[in-house]
Amino acid sequence: MTDIGLIAIGAGLAVLTGAGAGLGMGIATGKAVEAVARQPEANSKINALLLLGLALTESTAIYGFVTALVMIFTMGK
Amino acid sequence: MQFIMPSVGKWIAIALSLIVGVGALYLRSRIPQPEKMEEGYKSAKKKRNLLLMAGVLLLWLCSGLFLGSFGLGAREFQVEISPTRMDILGSSVSSTVFMSWIVIAALAVIAILLRIFIIPRFKETPRGLQLVLETAVTAINDLTKEKYGHRNDGLASYFFALAALFIGSAVVELFGFRPPTTDLSMTLSYALVTFVLINVYGIYKKGIKGRLQSFIRPKAIIAPFKLLSDLAVPISLACRLFGNMLGGMVVVELIYFALGAFSVGIPAVLGLYFNAFHPLIQFFIFINLSLTFIGEAVEEIE
Repeated sequence: MTDIGLIAIGAGLAVLTGAGAGLGMGIATGKAVEAVARQPEANSKINALLLLGLALTESTAIYGFVTALVMIFTMGK
Repeated sequence: MQFIMPSVGKWIAIALSLIVGVGALYLRSRIPQPEKMEEGYKSAKKKRNLLLMAGVLLLWLCSGLFLGSFGLGAREFQVEISPTRMDILGSSVSSTVFMSWIVIAALAVIAILLRIFIIPRFKETPRGLQLVLETAVTAINDLTKEKYGHRNDGLASYFFALAALFIGSAVVELFGFRPPTTDLSMTLSYALVTFVLINVYGIYKKGIKGRLQSFIRPKAIIAPFKLLSDLAVPISLACRLFGNMLGGMVVVELIYFALGAFSVGIPAVLGLYFNAFHPLIQFFIFINLSLTFIGEAVEEIE
């Protein structure tokens, strides 16, 4: 197996963080929908909270993505 | 880039798709559109839609074949994690830094022009540009007030300037340059400014003793973890913005690479999301999170 092949496998493993982030974002959105359905007048507040939470959740996926990019672009040379 | 004369078969394909495409659009204009309640409305509408789709698709195919046969539009896929460097006045400067200087200069010129020509003409009832400006300023003031607890003009104006710079750098991407936000050094520097602001406002509001006390609340044992999570704030802010912007750029580059000569129209639609909507959301999140952390630092706990 060549070096670049190993790096590619590692990068692929690194972006698996997206699975966890997707799960978390799905759960958060589902709960937000439930909350809005129960209390439609709190819509704007729930929306702001949801956006913040999604941003924090999404960052795990982004860290994996940045790791993969760094692996591909810096280790291959 | 080399110009190759296309073969006869390609010319025939180009001409055929052009003729059929234009013909479909012409046929569509010949079909009369009945009134909504009349009989045959649905079938006529269906036929018109089908012909429109066929015409646009064939014209797109024709343009792609035409550009491709001349060897135009084919791109090599190359994305670098660090931007290219260029020489300016004898010193090596990365292209993103140069682009951000251009954005800053343009924003300064716009601000001076607004101050001289627009602001003295403000009227009691806002209209046009005045309405846009007042809405933007009010929005950022309200956001600051919501997160910080009360009105803070200094913080609001800093974040307004930051939002303007970020939006300017998103506009730069629309012109085909590498946006400054895809450089880790830029995002990290603004995240560090946020880090400094968190501590400055925390100390300003509570004093050094109060700021240190906030680390040992509610129990002294969590102090190392609180310290770590505070230190992680600038890194996470910087990596989030950088990763999102670079990700969007990579996706757009991939689309151009995959479509080759056929990259007419489709990248414009996808770019609306990846170059306009997605950056705006991320800038909002960056500013929102910065304000949230600052608000957390100045929060009074009894």
